[in-house]
Amino acid sequence: MTFATSKFNSFLPAATFAMAAEFLMGLSDSIICGHILGETGLSAVNLMQLVFELVTFVGMMVTVGTSVLFATELGALHVRRAQGYFTLGTISAVAFGLLTAAVLAAVRTPVIAAFGASQAVSSMAASYWLWFLPAAALQPLAFYLGAMCYADGDARLSFCSYLAQLLGNCLMSVPLTMAYGAAGCAVGTGLGSLAAIVVLLFHFRRKGCMLGWSRHFIFADILKISGKSFGDASKNIGKAALMFALNAYVIAKFGSEMLPVLAVVVMTIGISEMFNGVANAAQPLASVYIGEKNPVLTKRVMHAALVASLVEGGGVMLLLLAFPGLMLSLVGISSPATVPEARLAVRIVSASLPSLSLVLLFNSYYVFIGRERLSSIMTILAVFGLPVALFPLFGSCWGAHGVWGALGLAPALALGLVALYVLARGGRSGFPFLLPKGREAALRAFDLELDPVSICGVSASVGAHLGANGVMGRRASKAALLVEEALMVVHDRNSGRRVKAEVTVDLNDGLMIVLRDDGVIFNITDADARVSSLRGYLVSNLMTAIPVRRNLTTTGFNRNVFKL
Amino acid sequence: MTIAVSGRVDTVTAPELEASLNFGDATCVVIDLAGVPYMSSAGLRLLLASHKKMLAKGGELQIANAQEAVREVLDITGFSGILNLV
Repeated sequence: MTFATSKFNSFLPAATFAMAAEFLMGLSDSIICGHILGETGLSAVNLMQLVFELVTFVGMMVTVGTSVLFATELGALHVRRAQGYFTLGTISAVAFGLLTAAVLAAVRTPVIAAFGASQAVSSMAASYWLWFLPAAALQPLAFYLGAMCYADGDARLSFCSYLAQLLGNCLMSVPLTMAYGAAGCAVGTGLGSLAAIVVLLFHFRRKGCMLGWSRHFIFADILKISGKSFGDASKNIGKAALMFALNAYVIAKFGSEMLPVLAVVVMTIGISEMFNGVANAAQPLASVYIGEKNPVLTKRVMHAALVASLVEGGGVMLLLLAFPGLMLSLVGISSPATVPEARLAVRIVSASLPSLSLVLLFNSYYVFIGRERLSSIMTILAVFGLPVALFPLFGSCWGAHGVWGALGLAPALALGLVALYVLARGGRSGFPFLLPKGREAALRAFDLELDPVSICGVSASVGAHLGANGVMGRRASKAALLVEEALMVVHDRNSGRRVKAEVTVDLNDGLMIVLRDDGVIFNITDADARVSSLRGYLVSNLMTAIPVRRNLTTTGFNRNVFKL
Repeated sequence: MTIAVSGRVDTVTAPELEASLNFGDATCVVIDLAGVPYMSSAGLRLLLASHKKMLAKGGELQIANAQEAVREVLDITGFSGILNLV
């Protein structure tokens, strides 16, 4: 397994669990209020969905763009610029959080009145809304810091912060709701967000933490951040619009009795949110490789992501085809009149999950590579445009089954259309990643687990590769020497540990060697480092002889770049 | 006594080379590096140890025909001033 693939695989569980935790967080207040305050409490919290969506949207508008730009700038070794984005993102997350809370405070009374709910529900919703304001101010920052720690390679802490938020929310909300009703539940949610922020602050004590403050930004960068974020957030906007259209159509065409089936269909489509974990796992690595202008390794990560995406989407589809009743029991559907139609609907709609999984992956990927427009068009087409165009047509031909069929088919059709467009634009060689052409031929990546035999083997291969590409004599030999000596130093510093490494030889702009390893963090490029062996002495002198060299801890790994 | 070495001298091959070197009673040993395209610190350590061994018994070690790439390693480390390069 290559370095890139193994790192992607190590990020994947944390990213997937984080998405699951986020999914559960979205449900926790409804569950708590529903169980403690009854149906009135559940209805009051359900009225808050609009507020939750707004707060999530605000968080995403800062987070996605900043984390992609931060990792890409680190990939290009622009540390101050990367930290400039982090600084700007932090200011924006705090400012937008406060602004959101202020706006929510201002519109609370008229919006609740506009819902037209009963007096008891409205009163409870107003109480929840008021005490939710601190949480609304804090959540964008918690969301943002979690994603930035993740982009900086601290997947474990990022996951812990989600757990802290979920557990903090549940542990505090339950007694507070029992004591103070819906207001207590909202306070518990805010305390959960605060717990997440406290946990995430530990990342700044981590060795190799690259999140830092820099004035190296301009306020026009906010537009850049928002542009990238909007590409990613388009899936949420598209889904919200689809839900609105579906509800209106189903009620008008089949009546309210079909709404429970629609609820199951919506939840089945909603499972696809979990598939975002694949793109999230790929993002830190892919963005760094994109920043390095390394299409070979970018493709390697994305191929791994593609496989994971298909496995997740296909796996869940097969599960639901075999056991559609799982979805029914989640929403408590047991009426004999509804069960057969709901089971069939779940089976039909589950066919969309592999395509949706791919759509979500490429929605994020095209944002990584700066194709926000393509990302938005593909996603809107898959989650809104084609379904809305097809379900009235199919519905009039085959009734409700036609509606579910349209939802099952639309993402695959959208994916097919986008694939044709990408093939036309980038040709077969550029499909589906649309990376700049012409750099791959001069790039070569070697992967190894550090031990003397494999290190010497890669060193010899680097020498042979350079020789085959016209780089001869002292330069080729120095490159091979650098690879052997530097990796042997890393090997010696990590005695008893299994360390994976990746060596990239880039001949696009002169000769550049990139060494990456997941051993203990240290700076091998420091020519003044303490020397305790002949090898250390040689490496120290080599560093003096290679004037263009950089060490940068990136996504939690050592990364050393040398220009020879 | 002249010993001709060929191939890469690296972390893996240097111990094998060291095990096969036997200077016997020779007081002047020439290590011919014409066939060595590459040498890492493991090879340097071997040359230094051999040099010290010869000095200890009042003899001399000479390094001959070092290729350009090997000579650069000797230069970078300053070994070219310690060893007798011919």
